[in-house]
Amino acid sequence: MSLTPRLPGSRSIFPYVFGGLFLIVLADSWRRAEVNPGIFFEPEGREHLWRFVTGMYPPELSWEFLELMVRPTIETIQISVMGTLIAVVIGFPLGLLATSTFSFQGILHETEFRNAGLRHGLKVCLYGLARALLSLFRCIPEFVWAFMFVRAVGLGPFPGVLAIGVAYGGMLGKVYSEIFESVNERPLEAIQSTGAGRLQIFFYGWFPQVLPNITSYTLYRWECAVRTSAILGLVGAGGIGQQIQISIRMFNFHEVTTLLLILFALVAGADYVSAKVRSLL
Amino acid sequence: MDEVRALRAGARDRTRASTYVMLALLGALFVWSYQGSEIDLGLLFSADGGGAIADYVKRLFPPDFSPKVVAEAVVGAWETLAISLVGTVLSAVIALSLAFFGARNLVYSGLLYEMEPRRRFGLLRRVPYLAAKAVLNFLRTIPEMLWALIFVFLVGLGPFPGVLALGVHTGGVLGKLFAEVLEDVDLQPIESLQSTGAGKVQILFYGILPQVLPQFISYTLYRWEVNIRVAAVLGFVGAGGLGQRIHIALSLFLEQQLLTLLIALYILVTAVDYLSAYLRRRAV
Amino acid sequence: MTAPHQYRLESVRKEFGRQQVALEGFDLTVAQGERVALIGPSGAGKTTLFRMLNCTIRPTSGRLRIDGEEVRELYGRRLREMRRRIGTIYQQHNLVPRLRVVHNVLSGRLGRWSLLGSLASLVRPSHLEAVHQALADVGIAEKLFSRTDELSGGQQQRVAIARVLMQDPEVILADEPVSSVDPSLAESIIRLLITISDQTRKTLMVNLHSTDLALSYFSRVVGMKQGVKLFDTAAAQVTPELLRELYSGHVPVNGAAGRVREAEQEVGEPAHWGAA
Repeated sequence: MSLTPRLPGSRSIFPYVFGGLFLIVLADSWRRAEVNPGIFFEPEGREHLWRFVTGMYPPELSWEFLELMVRPTIETIQISVMGTLIAVVIGFPLGLLATSTFSFQGILHETEFRNAGLRHGLKVCLYGLARALLSLFRCIPEFVWAFMFVRAVGLGPFPGVLAIGVAYGGMLGKVYSEIFESVNERPLEAIQSTGAGRLQIFFYGWFPQVLPNITSYTLYRWECAVRTSAILGLVGAGGIGQQIQISIRMFNFHEVTTLLLILFALVAGADYVSAKVRSLL
Repeated sequence: MDEVRALRAGARDRTRASTYVMLALLGALFVWSYQGSEIDLGLLFSADGGGAIADYVKRLFPPDFSPKVVAEAVVGAWETLAISLVGTVLSAVIALSLAFFGARNLVYSGLLYEMEPRRRFGLLRRVPYLAAKAVLNFLRTIPEMLWALIFVFLVGLGPFPGVLALGVHTGGVLGKLFAEVLEDVDLQPIESLQSTGAGKVQILFYGILPQVLPQFISYTLYRWEVNIRVAAVLGFVGAGGLGQRIHIALSLFLEQQLLTLLIALYILVTAVDYLSAYLRRRAV
Repeated sequence: MTAPHQYRLESVRKEFGRQQVALEGFDLTVAQGERVALIGPSGAGKTTLFRMLNCTIRPTSGRLRIDGEEVRELYGRRLREMRRRIGTIYQQHNLVPRLRVVHNVLSGRLGRWSLLGSLASLVRPSHLEAVHQALADVGIAEKLFSRTDELSGGQQQRVAIARVLMQDPEVILADEPVSSVDPSLAESIIRLLITISDQTRKTLMVNLHSTDLALSYFSRVVGMKQGVKLFDTAAAQVTPELLRELYSGHVPVNGAAGRVREAEQEVGEPAHWGAA
């Protein structure tokens, strides 16, 4: 597959150069990633696959197992909710600061009527700092955060909450700031011309414009958080992830089936709830 | 004034009640989750917990830039890049092979089927659509890390299970996105093609693919950005790359090496973001 | 010296960036209670002028005095107070689409309210009677609690006027208030603005694309072109030649009347002003 579009009549050599480069890198990556589809046809691979597929049926539905799973399932939901809440608490203020039209320029700052000075410089610094923090939070994957928090506060759901809070805080903050930057300034100008102060402009013109979008995106992130909190258990951060890992390592594939069904139910439920809430916006 | 009161009552009926119920439910959800997730923010700021975190951060510095560790980081980063790249290509292949069946307007309804006699095969036509949707959903719902766990069992340790994990999960995601793009396709060029007597496959190549290809590419590149981050942690379950080395460094308390690896990860992720953004601009 | 003029501009110049000069050597005096129409091709600097007159931007050089006060010396509280005294109706309404009509109208009051009061009003709208009255004045009382983005363009323009009514300023500036509504509605909106200014002795300044409306409803007309004042005279004194000079190289783009005039200009016939 070539990554460049075939535009009729475009004479640029870019597609060819890039296509060639891409093929070379792909070939090299193929080797480095030790891709070996044949493994599924070797006796050992076939045996594993067979064992896995047949082992998955029937799902483990014994009462004791299900009872054992209730607690981690609930925990998974709770981690996702609290994690998202903390992500909002982190992401919203940082996202605000990381928005140029909020931090240092535009209507809220009356640059027309004030000279740029020390305060302006300070604001720009804050803006840069917020962007750097968001980028740091985002770039370290949830799993690494989770592992580090397990080290800091011990096993259990709490490190999972913190990991989701920090990593998703970074993502939310970035997307929030993009939403904030796209605020239409015309209504703000109109409100300013009635003699409103900065905070009044913020609450009457600015906030109502962004609220639906940030709510919608936050809901989407919460759906992702449900999935993530289900697997953070792999590093000991609560939820059903821990159990999934144990079941696979112990070759109890019928338990894996049950756990996957639980995961499906959780994801579908989150999907349903967030669609419902969105329709109310 | 009565009129104002009546207008207000009408407005309230429409929104207020549901808003309050929703806020109340949300509050209850937060309280319930707070209790269940053993949150102890005090711990973070107490001398004990806060100290532990501060301690940990201190131990990260300075990063270990000895040649051996740097070489390890570079090899790991390169391997992660390879996993993400091959995984994304695999996912695009999976998505392309399923997406066309997952688009209603290509499989059984809409303009292309306007003139077909009704009821020939009837519901049977929907079977490939439903099957494709079900498979895509299945692939998408299981997170990459779980796929990785499963593939590690199937094909053994190393980067290959990572490639497969990325490929199948992202294949599900992209397949759904591609199908949506296909369903949103602009019908006018297709109509004019159809009126020239073009067959369905011809319409696909001349009327539909040129429209959707830029978006397919854009989505694939975007997922590549996501995948580079995922590829970096697949190693936690034994699927190679930087993640494996990060996992080892975390487990063995090699904090200074950990920081080096995280820096490598940061550079890798940022570079891929820029490259992908650049390519997306070129492609669309 | 008698009572200060509402507006007194002396060789005002406004530039954006280095090269782009929006307004040049602009002199204008407007008395209290006066009604003035501004006409001219798009890009003439009319909107820039209005944004200066309502204290959104300030002149690069020259003097702009409002009611005897030098705008350059206004900051903070006094600047806000000055803005409160000048109400503006914008071309694109500039309403907040997601808010209910009532809040958009009430935002005209923000200059008089404390922060806490305005926040409380977002939860539970205050002054409902007054808002209802303002909306009744512009003929859409029943839209009090509708969401603003559910209204048509003409209705939104009325909400914007109601906002200015709520603000109860000394000056009303209307920047192309009728460019997004159909001709019959345009006339009724202009008439409404004139009635308001008549009843409360408010100064009224209107930017218009349509020369017909300007000449038939306003006694004083100012013509602008490329940032410079071309003429400033009584409506009766505006000749077709003057207008042709004003629009030469440009064609008034708005409304059927404009298009007719374009056709007439092509065949070299003198236009029949005010006939629409």
